[in-house]
Parts: sequence; structure tokens; C-alpha cells
Amino acid sequence: MGGLLDYLPGESIIHRLNPLVKLILSFGLCVSCFLSDSIIFVLSVIVINILLSMMARVFARTLLVFLSLIKFSTLLFIIQILCVRQGEILLNLPLGLYITDKGLMFSLLFISRLIAAAMPLSLTLSVTRVVDIANVLVSKLRLPYKYAFALTAAIRFIPLFSSEMAGIMEAQTARGVDFETKNFLKKIRLLLPLCAPLLISSVRKVEGSAISAELRGFNLRGGSSGYKQYPFKAVDYSALCLCAALVVVSVML
Amino acid sequence: MININGLTFRYVGANADALTDINLRIPDGDFVGIIGPSGAGKTTLTRAINGLVPHHYKGDYYGEVLVDGKDTLKHTPDQLAVSVGSVFQDIESQLVSEIVEDEVLFGLENFSVSSGEIESQMEWALNAAGIPGLRNREIRSLSGGQKQKVAIASIIALRPKIIVLDEPTGELDPLASRRIFETLRELNTQFGVTVVVVEQKIMLLCEFARRLAVLSSVGLAIEGSVTDVLRHIDVLEATGVNIPRVATLAGLLRKKSLFFGEPPINVLGAKAMIENCLRGENTCLD
Repeated sequence: MGGLLDYLPGESIIHRLNPLVKLILSFGLCVSCFLSDSIIFVLSVIVINILLSMMARVFARTLLVFLSLIKFSTLLFIIQILCVRQGEILLNLPLGLYITDKGLMFSLLFISRLIAAAMPLSLTLSVTRVVDIANVLVSKLRLPYKYAFALTAAIRFIPLFSSEMAGIMEAQTARGVDFETKNFLKKIRLLLPLCAPLLISSVRKVEGSAISAELRGFNLRGGSSGYKQYPFKAVDYSALCLCAALVVVSVML
Repeated sequence: MININGLTFRYVGANADALTDINLRIPDGDFVGIIGPSGAGKTTLTRAINGLVPHHYKGDYYGEVLVDGKDTLKHTPDQLAVSVGSVFQDIESQLVSEIVEDEVLFGLENFSVSSGEIESQMEWALNAAGIPGLRNREIRSLSGGQKQKVAIASIIALRPKIIVLDEPTGELDPLASRRIFETLRELNTQFGVTVVVVEQKIMLLCEFARRLAVLSSVGLAIEGSVTDVLRHIDVLEATGVNIPRVATLAGLLRKKSLFFGEPPINVLGAKAMIENCLRGENTCLD
């Protein structure tokens, strides 16, 4: 899988941070850009994100995420800037549309916030294994293990289902169905009947997985039976302090 | 020790028994292969041993199954899991983690094994399954045979006395299948784990198992040591199992009064048998 949210192994200081601290950090970064109205602050949050990704040596991935967010935001930016009608008109456009100074500032702030808030999530998932996130949620936040297991199982099943779907499509292609058609509606019509076999085989796989988990004592598990420990270290406390400082600054600005 | 006494089972909604009056006794440390045509109830028998029948798969249940002294009717599958570990044919769906280490940890954590013991049990299991080098690998990057060994490691980490496998090599090539059986033999001879395995590759099974139990649609057709069972070609033919050709050959030679020894289980054995016949030696007369 070459998804933008996959784990990238590494040994950097960011990788070694406590998973819970990484979650809190990314949440803090998100919250701070919504608390502040200063575009300079929000832009600096984006810069912080990029710096963190460089420290974690996952800059290439972050750049990809950043570029795809820019693409998406451009569309939102255009819609947003044309919708705000208050403020001084900077530019008149045909069809009675115009761009105002307020609209420009608001839209810029809007998309910078969007980008700044989305990047930490991708960064956290790039440098933390999902199973570590699940374990820490169970051990530190007392999340019931069943929910944590559902989280990791769901992530594990995504590639399984996609290969299952690829298998079904290949079987149909071998019987002469042409999925390469450019006609979107036709493609949908061809794909819809495949949902039933996919659903059935998926349910069967999930059941197999449930039985296998049950036979290995899934129902016996207590809250404190985790083997891996996630102690807080000095670096974790300093990261939390920095995060708190950032949120305080965001409130002041 | 597994004791199956007069077991009859019919799934809810089915119009025929999946198992009919099965009586089977598997002593500790045995290596038993279960064969039979499809629909004979091989999978149901494994489910009856690990308690999925009648706890997970409901139906009409008569008779008694005692696993390590525990009645499977009175103990749930997770209570039985300490005595009996199960490995299934579908390799992908029985694995629940992304990393090999986490997969082995899963059962150990569930059974609240203490942190001190977890490390040694995990190392032992990975070594016994023959995959000590795969501990930190991502499961999706492994081959089918390696994944099946991970499944075996995660089961034996719980130190069950019995391991039940339902067509563990169903999705594997001949070489990987043989490796799985070599691992099972190690477990059986070195660590005394009782192995019960349902398998379609009969030649392979005959080479590794000590005893065979042949199921047919009307019940247990025959049971005994591998060579004993292979001697009863007529019974095997009647049940419709795929008989190894070397055993068929031995049967034909016996009919013609040319050979009376133990039926061979591989091509080398068959070669020796033919050479004996050609020399006119019937040294291993019954």
C-alpha cells in the first residue's frame, strides 16, 4: 500500500515519542490553529509541521500530503472567496462576482487552517504504528480493549478487502467484462453487482478472524494485560510543555 | 488425551448428520491424520475438539468429547484454548495483527501471561515454529508458508498440549506444505505436543503421521496406524478418499499373492517393494 497514512518505520526522536504524546501534540496543533485568528500564527503552525516531519525524516511524504491538500484547498479557496461579499472590492469579475479584501483574508485563513490542521494527523500516522496507538489508548486512557482491537482489525482488513475485490474483478475480466471503460456510469453499473460477492467473502473472512481471536482468549482479556509498556520520558514531558505553550500563544494571538 | 465417545452432530437447518456416532481415542503425544471425502465431517470433527461445536456452531449434539479431561460441552472454546490450539486453512483471516511479534503477543496477553514469561514463551514459540528471524517483520510481507508458521507460532506460544489443524497446507505449494509438516513433527517429537491434522495431501500425511482416522459420510470408516490403514485398500476405496498410488500398487500385489509386507508410504518404499517382488522374496510375510 502506498497510502498517505501508512506507517513509515524509523528511529528518529519523533518516532520514539510516546504514542499518546504524539496524539496530544497533533491534537494541540489542530486546536491551536482554530483558536488563533492570526494568519501568521497559522502559517507558522504549517512550518512547525514541516519542521517536525523533517526531524522524523518523513519530509517527502509530508510534501506529498501538503501538495494534495493545496490542490483540494484551491477549490475551496475559489468557492470561499467568491462567496464573501463584505469589505472593500479589490477586483471585479464578470457575472456580478467580485473579490473583497475581507474575502481574501478570510479565505486565506480558512485554507491555511485546513492545511495546518490536517497535516499533524497524517504526520502522526506516518510515525506511529496503529497498534501502538491502540495499546496506549487501552493502557493510558482506559479505552475498552474491544474498541482498540476493532481499530487495528479495521486497518488490517483494508488491504485484505482490496485484494479480495481485485480478485473478483480479475475473475470477471477473464469472463469478458471490461472494467477499463471511461464511462463512469457504465463502470458503476459493472461494479455494483460485485458488491454482493465481496460482502459475502468479507463477512466470511471477518468471521474466521473472530473465531481465531476467540480461540486465543480474546474474551478473557483484562484491561491491564498489555505486555508493551509506554512510559513517559523527559522528552515526552518537554514535548507536552511545548504543545501547551503553543496553545497558550494561540489563545493570546 | 482426546476421548470422543459416540459423537453425533447435526448443524441447525441441515438435513443430515455432519458426524455420525464417532468413537475415537487420541492418546497424549500422538500424531493423527484425519482424512475422508469432502462432506465427511473432517472440519466438524476439528470443531468438536476445540469446542466451536457446539458453542459457536449450534446444532443437535449427542455423545461426549473429552479434551484433556474437560467436557467440551461444559467448557467454552476460550477455556479449552489452554489445552487445545487451533490452526485453520484460511491463512489470512486467522491472523489479527500487522507485525509477527504482535500476532504471537495477542494470545499471550489475552491469557494474562506475566511479562517475565511472555518473552521466553514468545522466543520458544518462534524457534519451535522455525521462524526466529521473522519476529519484527510485517505479516503482509511474508509468503503463505511463513504466514502459516506465524499462525502455528501464535498458537503454540500458549503451550497447548494438543494442536488441531484444519487443512493447514490447503493454500500452500508442495515444498511449503512439507516444511509445515516438518515443523509439526518437531513439535510432536521434541515437545510432546499432540497433533491432530486434517489433510488432503495424503502421501505427505502418511509420511509424517503415526496414525490415520478415515471418515466417511456414515461415520468413522477405519482408524489405526498408517500402514494398517493403507492395508485396507477396499475400505479406503469405498469411502472415496484419494489413495496414494504406492498403496494401491501394494494392494494389487497382495491380491496376486506377490507381496505381504507393510505397504510403502513413498516412492522409495515402493521401489524396494517391487525389487523384493522381482527377486521373489517375501521376507516380510505376515
